[in-house]
Amino acid sequence: MNISKRTKSVLGSILLPVVLIILWQYIFSAGYIASAILPSPHQVIKTFIIHFTENEYSFHIISSLKRVLSGFFIGIVSGFLFGLFIGLSRTAEKIFSPSFNAVRQISIIGWIPLIVMWFGVNEFPRIIIIAAAAFYPIALNTFAGVRNVPREYVELASVYGYNRLKLITRIILPSALPSIATGITLALGMSWAMLMAAELFIPTNIGIGTRIQIGREKFNMALILVGIITVGSLGFAMTSIVEIIAHAADRGRILRKEI
Amino acid sequence: MIKKIFKRLGLKDKLLGLIVPFLLLIIWQGAVTKHLFSELLVVPPLTLLNTLIELAKSGDLSSNILASLNRVLIGFLIGASGGFILGIAMGLSPIINRTLSPLVKALQQVPEFAWMPVIILLFGIDEFAKNIFIAIGAFYPMLFNTYLGVSGVPDKYHELAQVYQYKSHRYLAKVILPSALPSIITGIRLSLGLSWVFVVGAEFFGTEAGVGFMMISGRQLFQIDVVMAGLVVIGTIGFLLNYVLQLLEKKLSGGRVAFDGGIA
Repeated sequence: MNISKRTKSVLGSILLPVVLIILWQYIFSAGYIASAILPSPHQVIKTFIIHFTENEYSFHIISSLKRVLSGFFIGIVSGFLFGLFIGLSRTAEKIFSPSFNAVRQISIIGWIPLIVMWFGVNEFPRIIIIAAAAFYPIALNTFAGVRNVPREYVELASVYGYNRLKLITRIILPSALPSIATGITLALGMSWAMLMAAELFIPTNIGIGTRIQIGREKFNMALILVGIITVGSLGFAMTSIVEIIAHAADRGRILRKEI
Repeated sequence: MIKKIFKRLGLKDKLLGLIVPFLLLIIWQGAVTKHLFSELLVVPPLTLLNTLIELAKSGDLSSNILASLNRVLIGFLIGASGGFILGIAMGLSPIINRTLSPLVKALQQVPEFAWMPVIILLFGIDEFAKNIFIAIGAFYPMLFNTYLGVSGVPDKYHELAQVYQYKSHRYLAKVILPSALPSIITGIRLSLGLSWVFVVGAEFFGTEAGVGFMMISGRQLFQIDVVMAGLVVIGTIGFLLNYVLQLLEKKLSGGRVAFDGGIA
């Protein structure tokens, strides 16, 4: 009974994609649209296989991953420290958060022309843009997490005579962890989204975004779609991994609290 | 007496907030007077102000802002109404939800800018392509927040509506929409915010007007003051859009504003 319900829901969720693919194939075979604009599903799969069996494509993927991860790590480390800093000290918050919030109103994409003028067309501005995209969510969520630590915990810590460092590592950080984890997941999504903007607007020869761009220049929709599928699945895989880690860390925290 | 102290405290906080901008301004001006950087890369703060005033006087600024806002509005209306309708359908019907949500989730994994080459190939690089690009960005937050609002309508309301034998359109208008309204407003705010973010990106791809165009042509002509003026405009308008809708959201949901985690 339970299984059949589950099969039904799985069938329900694959129904639409299957229908769409059949429709897609039909439109293609009927020849309504030129194949450069809309390649057949078969063509896309063929392009996909060809690309994934050649080394060059994996080189592009690895380069993009390197790019996004370096930006992401710079962004989350600095964002975490900043969020912790303005979260712990009310004075620091009053000094820095008005300026932070003012700068935050400018979308990161808007910075691209200025950053390119300052640093030229190379890897550095790309990583800066990705890092900035990761910085905001992690800073805001760390700040929120630190500020929402229940008062009783802090009072309890002072009863136990914890010093400041112990208070931060034993009380504040563990209790802010879920919020920080949310920040990290959001930051990863933002970095990944910004990677595409960085590769499109700050031209480079290497990267998945570049491959998609080349597909456009060559009027090769199959190549573009392969790029999009790659980008989408990699983004999904990375977000899932981070979510699993965050969940595990959170579980560990709860277990330790119970002990 | 106590009130006075509070007032003074409030003022003190504001003054503290001015320290960083003030220091930055001093460093900025200092760097300019000491010629630490090329004049092409760093213009004096006053030049930036002058450029802003001149752009505003000549009407360039307002015409570019209007062009961008016009794009935002069209893209937002297309994307947000799509998201709104789909969100209601998915919130009301579990079957539609089950059928569509895997597809939506899969498509949502694709970063917005990866769609740009597809859109350009399909529709060219004209106005319509930009509207579609913005619409895609506006679609998701509206869809998710409408869905959250509609699927979160308490079962009690549904039962009550059945007792009163409400017809479906009446049920929608009198029960579902009012109850989902705060969430829908959140959706509008986030989706309008993203539209404003993406319009600048869309304009980087080539156009004859708009704030993004102003910045790109400023970059090509090496007018860094124009590029910086563009940043000021982007920030100000983004802030105003968010601020007005946040006021509305607060009013409708009794002082609560959804935390976007810094994504919009």
